[in-house]
Amino acid sequence: MAAVPPWAMLLVAPFVVLNVVVGLVTYITLLERKFAARMQSRIGPYRVGPHGLLQPIADALKLMMKEDIVPAAADRHVFNLAPIVFLIPCMLIFATIPFAPGLGVGDLNIGILFFLAVSSMEIVGLFMAGWGSNNKYALLSAMRAVNQIISYDLPFIFSALVPVILAGSLKLGDIAALQQGSLLHWFIFYPVIGQLAFIMFVVATLAAENRVPFDILEAESELVAGFRVEYSGMKFALIQLGEYAHMIGSSFLGALLFLGAWSGPGPESIGPVWFLLKMVFMFLLVTWIRWSFVRIRADQILALSWKVLLPATLALLLTTAVVVVWRTNGF
Amino acid sequence: MASELATIVPAVIRAMGMTLRNLFRKPITVHYPDKPRTYPDRYRGLLALTYDKETGEENCIGCRLCEYVCPPAVIKVEMLKSEKRNYAKTFSLELYACEFCELCVQVCPTDAIVMMKSFDLATADRREMLLDKDRLHAIGLQHQPSWATGNLLRDMQTPPKAAAPAHAAKPPAAATPAAATVEPAAPGKAEPPTPKPADSTPAKADA
Amino acid sequence: MLDRSSVARVELDWAGPERLTMNMGPQHPSAHGVFRAIVTLEGETVVAVDAVIGYLHRCHEKLAETLTYAQYPSIASKTDYVAAMTSEFAYVLAAEEIGKIDVPKRAQYLRVICAELQRIASHLLWLGTWCMDMGGALGGGATIFLYCIRERETILDLFESLVGARLLYGFYQVGGVRYDIPSGWTQACRSTLELIEQRVVEYERMLENNPFFLARAKGVGVISRDLAQDIGIAGPLLRGSGISYDVRRAAPYSSYGDFDFSIPIETDGDCFARYRVRMVEFRQAITIIRQALDRLPEGPISSRPALKSVAQTRIPKGEAYARVEGPRGEVGNYMVADGSAKPYRMKWRGASFSNLSVLPHIIPGHKVADVVAIMGSVDPVFGEVDR
Repeated sequence: MAAVPPWAMLLVAPFVVLNVVVGLVTYITLLERKFAARMQSRIGPYRVGPHGLLQPIADALKLMMKEDIVPAAADRHVFNLAPIVFLIPCMLIFATIPFAPGLGVGDLNIGILFFLAVSSMEIVGLFMAGWGSNNKYALLSAMRAVNQIISYDLPFIFSALVPVILAGSLKLGDIAALQQGSLLHWFIFYPVIGQLAFIMFVVATLAAENRVPFDILEAESELVAGFRVEYSGMKFALIQLGEYAHMIGSSFLGALLFLGAWSGPGPESIGPVWFLLKMVFMFLLVTWIRWSFVRIRADQILALSWKVLLPATLALLLTTAVVVVWRTNGF
Repeated sequence: MASELATIVPAVIRAMGMTLRNLFRKPITVHYPDKPRTYPDRYRGLLALTYDKETGEENCIGCRLCEYVCPPAVIKVEMLKSEKRNYAKTFSLELYACEFCELCVQVCPTDAIVMMKSFDLATADRREMLLDKDRLHAIGLQHQPSWATGNLLRDMQTPPKAAAPAHAAKPPAAATPAAATVEPAAPGKAEPPTPKPADSTPAKADA
Repeated sequence: MLDRSSVARVELDWAGPERLTMNMGPQHPSAHGVFRAIVTLEGETVVAVDAVIGYLHRCHEKLAETLTYAQYPSIASKTDYVAAMTSEFAYVLAAEEIGKIDVPKRAQYLRVICAELQRIASHLLWLGTWCMDMGGALGGGATIFLYCIRERETILDLFESLVGARLLYGFYQVGGVRYDIPSGWTQACRSTLELIEQRVVEYERMLENNPFFLARAKGVGVISRDLAQDIGIAGPLLRGSGISYDVRRAAPYSSYGDFDFSIPIETDGDCFARYRVRMVEFRQAITIIRQALDRLPEGPISSRPALKSVAQTRIPKGEAYARVEGPRGEVGNYMVADGSAKPYRMKWRGASFSNLSVLPHIIPGHKVADVVAIMGSVDPVFGEVDR
């Protein structure tokens, strides 16, 4: 690492990270499908490759080969740009995540602030997709999406801020470093506050990701794929990529904030493996919830956010601050 | 609020627990067509014409009863008269329109047409499902026949001659005005009908 | 209501200030079949709904005039294809009533067993598709859907070993039934019933206090008691609104009087009440089947000679209206016979057709998302609606 000049690192690291992320996204879709299938007494993809291992490749190839349809009445430029504008923030969030102490694209001093700010920008791409499609279903869904994501970004931020207060730093590397050592140092095991913050984080993530039970904006039974309905081929693939990349990014963030990032038994060098496993655990947790519940209506989702989750996270944040001050100044 | 939480949290955990339990159950998928599916005895699958077990002759006598009973009228038969018995000159069955209702099997007097315990019908061209007599005989040799043949089905449905008083079955003597008048279908049937209103069926009357 | 010209012209249109006409068109992932609902929205609230049916019309009533009494029961399955035996039952009951044909006791018990098994299978499908409508094909709804289908497959296996077919039978015939139970079937039936009993408990655990489910089902689609009485619906819709009416009790047919079962009544009238009614009906159906299996008498399965030719059954002149309690409501068959082998006229009273008439009264005022929840709890099958 020392022999490589820093400017080369600047080019190589993002390249490696992006490729790894894209690879992860494709295979995590397979993992979700197999996991969901097992919960439903069936086997997921099985025939394409041994036990379906080549299924994501087949899907990617299929999407690349599909015809790219742009509706005649659509606003071309907005329609074409939307997937890209949606994808870029979802990829940018990986710039701030350290995969091991010192390993990562960059470890900003305001790491978590950057993450949260950038991840909220995907709404712009989403709304562009809904507007540019010139389709009433897409527009309806895009409006619901904007409503929902804006409402849930606040609890998301507040619940993510609880580990920040517990650690005393916005830098993701510091937050992770403070959870090393033993299992009990993980913030999820912080008495009461850790567990509550984790649960609220998971709920807010579900809503910010448009996952059931909060997936009102895709709602196949009503709106048939929502804002994505007019997209086909590679543009659809980009939107899927962005969604799952955001999902993985949030899972990484959750694993880092609450589950101790790279801490685990064994030598330091397999830290990233533990991080990956914890990310998979977060992802499977979200998937498990997704495949267990029916969705709730748009007005109920918003009611849940503003009337329940926001006050709860605010209260939790306040409590955390009080507890931290209390502990640092001695009992 | 707290009371709501007290019901919400256990309910959520219970629901997720149910999904988790199913995660560890064996999947019920059958790897068809790698593993064959076991069909029950009476399965109504493909249709076929049969040969007589002892003599090897075709069972079909061309009586056209199946043609008349078929609801979507997919069977077309032409009879070929011969000295000892009649045959079917042509027998065509449009399997793509068949309803698989088993009525043709039910009425066949010689157990000629039966259904197979197999449903592998998929073809790329619908015309392959217009089965002629040779195809039907070939299908009969290829697959296992179902238990249900005309005579067995009719035996199952026939009320016994001696009606026991314990049952609410109407004794055949007090038959309803809509008597069992069997229409003379076509000449050359193997079993001639006996239009006796007092009796239930001419042959094989066991419960 | 909408004016007809705007309906015919364009699918998505403005129907006045602040209002949007949206089409939940015949091809729709949750329309329960081919059904077109033209909803007028103000924001997210439905203001009016106009239903267009007839996409699945196949002239059953004319077909019955051209097919004999021996041929039609197999076709009758296709009206309510989810609970196929119900329609066959109504048809043969009507023919038997006109012809004053007695049905042997064993056949009556077999009819009851199959009708109740069909009720369980139909309710399983209802539960699965309703949750799928509410939860999305990629989500918790699909999970419950697959569990229900998994259980329904066990019942269909039972039918398969009895009749040979899984969806469209041809089990009933005038005078009795066509097939007798093979050896080992009673045992298989009992173990299937036990399995379904356990699994129904599991579904209830997944759904009963589930806050998401309750949020979608409670208070949604309320049919008031007066409306239920006036509008001519039947089945779980009626019993969910507090009216105790079940054809099996009101006019027992086919030895239903011999069995001991209760009719579930709920008074709320919302989707959750109808859900509760159907969940209890699962258990009652299992009770009835168990009683019937215990007391199944020996004897013939038909009082008529076996079918040997197409025009064998002749029903004398007369007319009758026979009704059965299907899973969706009262399925009625009005038949006019003229002494020949075919009915002169036959009319179906489709349970779902009458039930759909309640939609324009209960949907307005709800949100778009509730439309699918309400449709699912009304449980229409469009084979029965359009015939």
